[in-house]
Amino acid sequence: MNCSSPIDAAVLADYWLAALAESDEEAVEEHLLDCDPCSARLREIIALAEGLRHLAREGSLRMIVSDAFLRRAEEEGLRVREYAPPPGGSVQCTVTTEDDLLIGRLAADLIGASRVDLCICDERGVEQHRMPDIPVHLGANSVVFQESITYAKTLPDNRMIARLVTVDETGREGLLGEYTFNHTRSLPGPGTWQSA
Amino acid sequence: MMEVELDDAELVRKISSGTDREAETELYRRMAPRIRLYGLRHLRNEQAAEDLTQQVLITTLNALRACRLREPEKLASFVLGTCRMTALDLRRTAHRKERLLEQFGAELTAPVQPIMPRVDYDKLRRCVQNLKERERTVVVMTFYDERTSSDLAGFLDVSEANLRMIRHRAILRLRQCMGVAA
Repeated sequence: MNCSSPIDAAVLADYWLAALAESDEEAVEEHLLDCDPCSARLREIIALAEGLRHLAREGSLRMIVSDAFLRRAEEEGLRVREYAPPPGGSVQCTVTTEDDLLIGRLAADLIGASRVDLCICDERGVEQHRMPDIPVHLGANSVVFQESITYAKTLPDNRMIARLVTVDETGREGLLGEYTFNHTRSLPGPGTWQSA
Repeated sequence: MMEVELDDAELVRKISSGTDREAETELYRRMAPRIRLYGLRHLRNEQAAEDLTQQVLITTLNALRACRLREPEKLASFVLGTCRMTALDLRRTAHRKERLLEQFGAELTAPVQPIMPRVDYDKLRRCVQNLKERERTVVVMTFYDERTSSDLAGFLDVSEANLRMIRHRAILRLRQCMGVAA
């Protein structure tokens, strides 16, 4: 069966999220009840949505999250381990088998920042990874950073430095804050980096 | 499956003309997966979606056998209307059913066959990690909570229309990365 007017996957995602206007939703439903290719595409969207929920619950993504997301995760029974080193300061941290999400709360004055990058640095302060133009609420006083807990659970003792920087239109950077995480491994396994 | 695929109107006429079991089987094959999707979207529960499918198909078959569908080409509209009525009814009785299940046990309910395509989580993780920061946050937080709330737009300091655009772009990129058609 072919479809002469296929519904865009993004519209189907909106339909799944109940984000369409009522009249649009009715039109989509009429079409879906008469169209196998679009129904199949909707099934792909639902599977994708389920996959994303799985990854969110697994805590394996390195990303910026909101407090509402953390509240919802806790309501769902997920165990959130959170550290909040002050700007320029450090914190002793670890992760256990019972933890589901690993969060770093980075306090910073974000007023006036048009673009904020989060740089992940090694113990010498050398940048290893950059998250450019992270989503921030400019009135907020912190950035809530989720580290991949599956990655953190494999780590030996180490020190990680997170750096929040503003970047202006010319590419010039300004330091908003630097935060040191002194990780001690509390899970069984190697306590130091293993050479390959 | 019927050798030559009938259109909906022909199917309705065949069922209405008597007890054409083959036509009825074809109606089930054609409509059941679509009705299940409607049920999943509105009831958010696979068992409830399965119940809805059964009830809508029974109602539809009874109506067709009794020649109550005056415009055979409007089968999809009839089924959609029946879906809406049945979903309302199921929502009303859901609480009562929960109590019965507590009393008699969940083993009384028939197993539901999975209908969704399988997702390669490792591949999806890599695809999500390759999104832009805003796209990743939007798409994960939206689908985690299955909401397109104004809270999220507020968190990101963007309008809801802008949030929708970011979400659409992210879905497009993810589908491309996962190797499914856009």
